[in-house]
Amino acid sequence: MSRWRSVWLVAKREILERGRSRGFIFSVVFTTLLVIGSFVLPTVLFGDDQAARIGIVRPTPPGLEGAITATAAQLDQPVEIVPFDDPAAADAALASDNVDVVAEVPSDLSSPGAIRFASDADQVVSQIISAAVVALRFQDIVADAGVDPGVLLAAQQPPSVDSLDPETEADQSRFLFANIGAVLILVGIFSFGFTVLTGVVEEKQSRVVEVVLATVRARDLLMGKVLGIGILGVVQLVVFVVAALGAAMWTDRFVLPEATPSAVALLVVWFVLGYALYSTALGFLGALASRLEEASNASTPVTMIAMISYFVAIFAVINDPSGLVAQVATYIPASAPFVVPLRAAFDAISGVEVAISIVVTVAAIWVLFAIGARVYAGAVLQTAGRMKIRDAWRSAGE
Amino acid sequence: MLEIDDLAKRYGNVVALDGATFTARPGRVVGFLGPNGAGKTTTMRCIFGLARPDRGTVRWKGQPVDRDARLRFGYMPEQRGLYPRMRVGEQMSYFAQQHGLRARDAEAASARWLDRMGLADRAKSKLEELSHGNQQRIQLAVALAHDPELLVLDEPFSGLDPIGIATMTEVVHERAAAGVGVLFSSHQLDLVEDVCEDVVIIARGRIVAAGAIEELKARSGRRHLEVEVVGSGGAWLDGDGSLTVLERSGDRVKLLVADDVDLDGMLARARAAGEVRMFAYEPPKLSELFMEAVTPTSPGPDLEASR
Repeated sequence: MSRWRSVWLVAKREILERGRSRGFIFSVVFTTLLVIGSFVLPTVLFGDDQAARIGIVRPTPPGLEGAITATAAQLDQPVEIVPFDDPAAADAALASDNVDVVAEVPSDLSSPGAIRFASDADQVVSQIISAAVVALRFQDIVADAGVDPGVLLAAQQPPSVDSLDPETEADQSRFLFANIGAVLILVGIFSFGFTVLTGVVEEKQSRVVEVVLATVRARDLLMGKVLGIGILGVVQLVVFVVAALGAAMWTDRFVLPEATPSAVALLVVWFVLGYALYSTALGFLGALASRLEEASNASTPVTMIAMISYFVAIFAVINDPSGLVAQVATYIPASAPFVVPLRAAFDAISGVEVAISIVVTVAAIWVLFAIGARVYAGAVLQTAGRMKIRDAWRSAGE
Repeated sequence: MLEIDDLAKRYGNVVALDGATFTARPGRVVGFLGPNGAGKTTTMRCIFGLARPDRGTVRWKGQPVDRDARLRFGYMPEQRGLYPRMRVGEQMSYFAQQHGLRARDAEAASARWLDRMGLADRAKSKLEELSHGNQQRIQLAVALAHDPELLVLDEPFSGLDPIGIATMTEVVHERAAAGVGVLFSSHQLDLVEDVCEDVVIIARGRIVAAGAIEELKARSGRRHLEVEVVGSGGAWLDGDGSLTVLERSGDRVKLLVADDVDLDGMLARARAAGEVRMFAYEPPKLSELFMEAVTPTSPGPDLEASR
């Protein structure tokens, strides 16, 4: 029988046993609902950038509607203007929440008039209306003094607003993407890497490993385990990403960056690489332990490395995606899975750098696996307490 | 044929195997006996590549054992272990597939063996839901489902009830009749005497006796002579310092004699003492052969192995 069939049988067993477990199904369903909910709920509850409904009482001064709309446009606040024929009708609409505010301005602009809210005043909306009224009254007086309205209007143009490095909506969603990606990779590595760790310890504890290893090579068992659990991890990640993208597109809350498909592909690739690296390390550390508590102690250094890499990514690299820290971290296998997708989300990494980083990480996985598999083989059959890596390495035989 | 050739293995300062050599033939049931720590489990682990011997080889059909050969072996380790939360039927099928069976054949084989073990209705149960004895049966079935050419069972009888022992014995005989070589270790020597044709006795990592039980008995210089002389109270032996009395109860005495003892002479002496109701000349029991074989002739260093 080929080794690969043996590896695949191990992987398939992990997929079936764990994939059917209530815990896994629950976590997939729960995270998916959480993702969809976090996109859909705000839309359902608050709507997106809801227009302020402004009731105005007729007769209104000429140009009020236009002035309000123009001012609102400057503040990026959508408005909807609802005219009423008398103040009582307007107030009734305000009381029954058909409008958010009522503006009553004398048509001859003899006084500034009044703005009424149902309860709390919305500062932005009241500023918009106030500015419009003040501008109208000012225009009225100045026009009476014989100033050309066109000149006046030109004089009232606000300065143009600009920024040296404008942050677009695409930038915001990039930032969000990068952060969510880094969190997903961290959570994925932890939850599925630790599944490998506990799986190894459980096999050792239940002594089934002796029966398994009578036919399966230790290396193949470790590989199959990492593979099977990794496939579940990818399934969960893909479900998660599809749910998030679907919900984002449906609710129209974010502008998806143009590079979304390649960013998602890169996210999956680096999830796989990061998981393979860390779960291999966790798998053989698990084999050194004889109980689960020992295993989690033994895994502390790996956990620390993952956490440090994550923090380097979300603090140092997000601040300066092309900086020295970011460049160095790209070629360190432990941090690359966090750093590369993040830099890619900011378009701050070249294809060549990504390729080199992937090669370096794959090589590191291969080396770690070669060492790890031997230690695993030496340690997994020893049940007397915690083993040292050196002893396990020596006692490994094949 | 399985050949164990000059296996040696140390764990730190503990000598587990010290040049163990023996063979197990197809169709023969070999009892692998030895005190705790004598090296039985280590030998079995070496057969399955679970321990790497410092010296020596394990050969199957003349070739050093490799993974392909091991696929044709069945193993029931001393420390039983299966996946506690995996369903019984799927579990058996999984192990059969790991031994090279196609999925469909593996499922058929596991169904067949579950039926044989009387557990056909538990195929969908998780292993941990089964009683201890039934888990043992599954463990045996896992060792058997791929129809191995060699069966290695480490303490298969421990923890089994009499029905389980009967099933185990029946299966072992049936497999041997089908040409399978069976090697099993046990401390229950009476059972071994019933089940095996051959025994291999190991002590302190070395084989101290090996062969067919009947031959070993015949070769042994010891014999038992049990004599009952009515009304004698065994007094007819008194004063003879050359005889070793093993047991004395009422008129019956049990003597340890050499195999060249003068039986006619003994019978004559018994007759002279009274009416002889019983005069039985027997080879020693396996347990005595065992004790004789494993007792060190000279006190050596403590080489007791931990595994």
